[in-house]
This record gives sequence, C-alpha cells and structure tokens, in this order.
Amino acid sequence: MKTAIKINDLTKKFGNKIAVDKINLEIYEGELFGLLGINGAGKTTTIRMLTGLSAVTDGEAEILGHSIKTDMQEIKPLINVSTQETAVAGNLTVRENLELIANIYGMNKSDIKGSIGEIVTSLELDEVISQRAKTLSGGWQRRLSIAMALITSPKIIFLDEPTLGLDVIARRELWKVLENLKGKITIILTTHYLEEAEALCDRIAVMAKGKIKALGTAKELKKSADKDSIEDAFVEIVGGGV
Amino acid sequence: MRVMAFTSRNIKELLRDPISYVFCLGLPIVMLIVMTLINDSIPVVPGTPKIFNIEKLTPAMTVFALTFIMLFACIRVSGDRSSAFLTRLYASPMKSGDYIMGYTLPFGIIALFQIIITYTSGEIIALINSKSFDIINALLSVPLLFPSMVLFIGIGIIFGTILNANAAPGVCSAVITATAILGGIWMDIDTMGGAWKTVCGCLPFYHSVKYARFALEGNFTDMLNPLLICSAFAALIFVIAVLVFSMKMKSDKR
Repeated sequence: MKTAIKINDLTKKFGNKIAVDKINLEIYEGELFGLLGINGAGKTTTIRMLTGLSAVTDGEAEILGHSIKTDMQEIKPLINVSTQETAVAGNLTVRENLELIANIYGMNKSDIKGSIGEIVTSLELDEVISQRAKTLSGGWQRRLSIAMALITSPKIIFLDEPTLGLDVIARRELWKVLENLKGKITIILTTHYLEEAEALCDRIAVMAKGKIKALGTAKELKKSADKDSIEDAFVEIVGGGV
Repeated sequence: MRVMAFTSRNIKELLRDPISYVFCLGLPIVMLIVMTLINDSIPVVPGTPKIFNIEKLTPAMTVFALTFIMLFACIRVSGDRSSAFLTRLYASPMKSGDYIMGYTLPFGIIALFQIIITYTSGEIIALINSKSFDIINALLSVPLLFPSMVLFIGIGIIFGTILNANAAPGVCSAVITATAILGGIWMDIDTMGGAWKTVCGCLPFYHSVKYARFALEGNFTDMLNPLLICSAFAALIFVIAVLVFSMKMKSDKR
C-alpha cells in the first residue's frame, strides 16, 4: 500500500498549552482513516495543520510526498477539506457553490460540468441544486459542504466532524455517501461518535490530550482494551476506565 | 481564474442582498432629491449661493455614496472571516492577492454603476430645475472618481479584516459620518477656514469631494492638487489593506 500521509513527531503548541504532542502516523492511499477523541483531544488541530490552516510548531508531515512545512502550495490542489462548521456561500445556489470551488481549484469548464453531474448524483443533491444554500436545512448544508470538498476530485479529503449536529437519518445518509467513497480516495475523518468510527473507518487513531493513545481497526482496539464494545474500549484507552 | 471566481461570488452575494440596493443605489438618489427640495425651500439671499445647488451636491453625494460601498465591503469581509467559508478558502490554492482583488473588483464594479446612476439622477434633477451639467465633464468625472473608489473600498477591507462582524458596521457608520462632516458634503469647508479646515485637509474625504466638484465644473487645473492628494491617500490605504489582510491571514494560521 502506498503512503498518502506520513506524520513524524507533529506538534502544535498554543503558548504553553500543547494541543498536539509529537504524533506519528502513516495513512495509506484509499484508506478511510478515523481520528477519534473527546473534545479538545487535538483532532481538529491535527487536521488544521495537515491542510495548511494552522502553522506547525514542531515535527513534520508529508502529504503525497510533499512537506506541509515547505510545499503547502503544491499540496493544496491535491486535497480538500470540509470543516467542522458548514462552510458554504449562503446567497449562492448549490450549483453555484460547487462551480465556485471548482473554478477556484482551476478546473476547466467541461470538467466542472461533468464533476457537478457526478457529485450531484452521488450525493443526491438533484432536488436542491437550484436552491440557495442558506435556505437548506443543516443536513443538506452539510451534504453540500462535503460535495464542495469532493468536486475538485481531491486525492485526499479531510472531513472534520462531518455529522456533528445532524439528526440520525441525515447522519445515516451521510454514512452511505462516505461508504460509497471508500477505496476511491483517501479520507481522514474526525469524529467523537464512536459507532460512526466503527461503522465507517478502516483504521482508527484514538487521540487524548494531544497524543495518539491507540491505533488500529475497531476490532483491534476492542481486543487491545479487552472490551466487547468500542465505547468501553474507547473509555479504557483514553484513561477514563470505569 | 481564482480571482474571477471569487469576484463573481462576491458580486452575486451583493446583488442578492436587497439592502445593498437600498443603500448603494437608492439612498444617494433619495438624498439628492431631498437636498434639492430643501435647497428650493431656502429663501434666496442676494449674493449668497444656495448651499445645496445640484452642481455642487451631485459630485459630493457621489463621493458620499461610496461610503456605503465601503460599508458593504466591510460587512462582506468581516462576515466571511467570521464564517467557516473563508476557512475553506484558506485551505484552497487561493493566495492573499486573490482575496484582495476578489473583494476589490466586485465593489469597484458596483461603485462604477453607483457613480453613473448618481450622476444621471443629478442630471435629471438639474434638468427639472432648468439647469444642466456639461456632459463631457460628467463623463470625465466617472473615471476620475477611481481613486476615491479605491480609497473607500480599501477602508472597507481594512475594517472588515481587523474588526468582527458585530463591530464592523458600527465603525463604518462613524467613517460615513466623518466623511459627511469632514468632507464638506453638506457645507463649503473652504468658506469656514481655521482649524476646522486644517483638520479636514489632513484627511482624504475633503480632497475627494473637492476634486469631484472641480471635475464636474470642468476646472481641471484646480482639480489636480486635491486629485493627487486623494490618489496618494488611496494608494496608501490600499497598500495598508493588502498588508493588513495578509497579516491577518497569517495570524489566523497560528
């Protein structure tokens, strides 16, 4: 398997506070990789560093062979991100939002048309394609936000808490979308929904206090913690054993 | 490509906000009409020109209207910064220059329309009052207002960058008021003189209004000095806008 992301001693400090503490990871191409942890574990900060949204304090990471410290401008066209908060242009329609991102990433007209057709079909956005983003429900906006991350055909997509705040139905629908993407592109997913990580991810890294506490498949994590459920295993791993 | 995409988005956002029509296009016309009606109601004093004469009022109102472009530029930038939308764009291949141009161009285009509409409205009001502008001077005034346009858009970008979405409109309102008072929109500062004129002369608004009035008069010789001062202010403000936005982008990534 080819390496998509290689992280070596990646560290982020905010003043004296260590948000990410010398983490090491290797994520493979086509993998759906989960970063699991409670609030403040360092998941989002890790994603922000990998996507160039936050400066690295120490350590290094390579994305598709490019350093995030020196080659971010080469990395940016190869990746895309859907942030924790829904990031759409409210007064633009769904189609216009997709076209905007495609144009910003320098796609040509015919590719844009084809990609929009594919994305709209796979994310079932047909019924809202001409609707302004601000008139969509939270679930649809989140779906559009993910579509905007996918429209550029990135090799790696970072999804930061993509199902946060969604109802059960909307969350399950998004799971279906992500399952369909499995194997086609590398997906880095942060979540604190344990069942989500278990259902979707090929491998999971459990983060707590900026460190990676455990790494493996859901099955391996349960086995190493000697627990039957992912929830019990998670509690054991992050040090809150009851 | 990136600049055009971002420009297109900002134009659509602006055009789809009904309030922008009221402030950017409607208000200057209403103000021109109201001030003309007030002017008509003021008794004629022999030897004293009326203060709201349409030939003086139209260029001043055009400059004043640009302050609303500043307000909307400020609201757009601060609004984008407070939303996750700009975060998404920070992760894209867009560079700081793309953002600055992407914010400046759409407001420049809207400002251009605003200037044309305000001058056209002024001309119509002048004709109703049996007066008329020199068409050539009016046409020349449009491109000559470019420095003022850049000045106010630059101020809008600066405030939108350093202030949050709640504070930005309030501070812009203060600049709008300052432009009206210190720019001599409603009064002739040159006849006042003294310390007040000195204060006004230290700021760009007075020069902006002054050269716009000279331009419509066709007095291009007297126009040159305030035009150059306003252009210098505009260049300085725009450089500061670029620096402030770039620095903010970097600090957001800390």
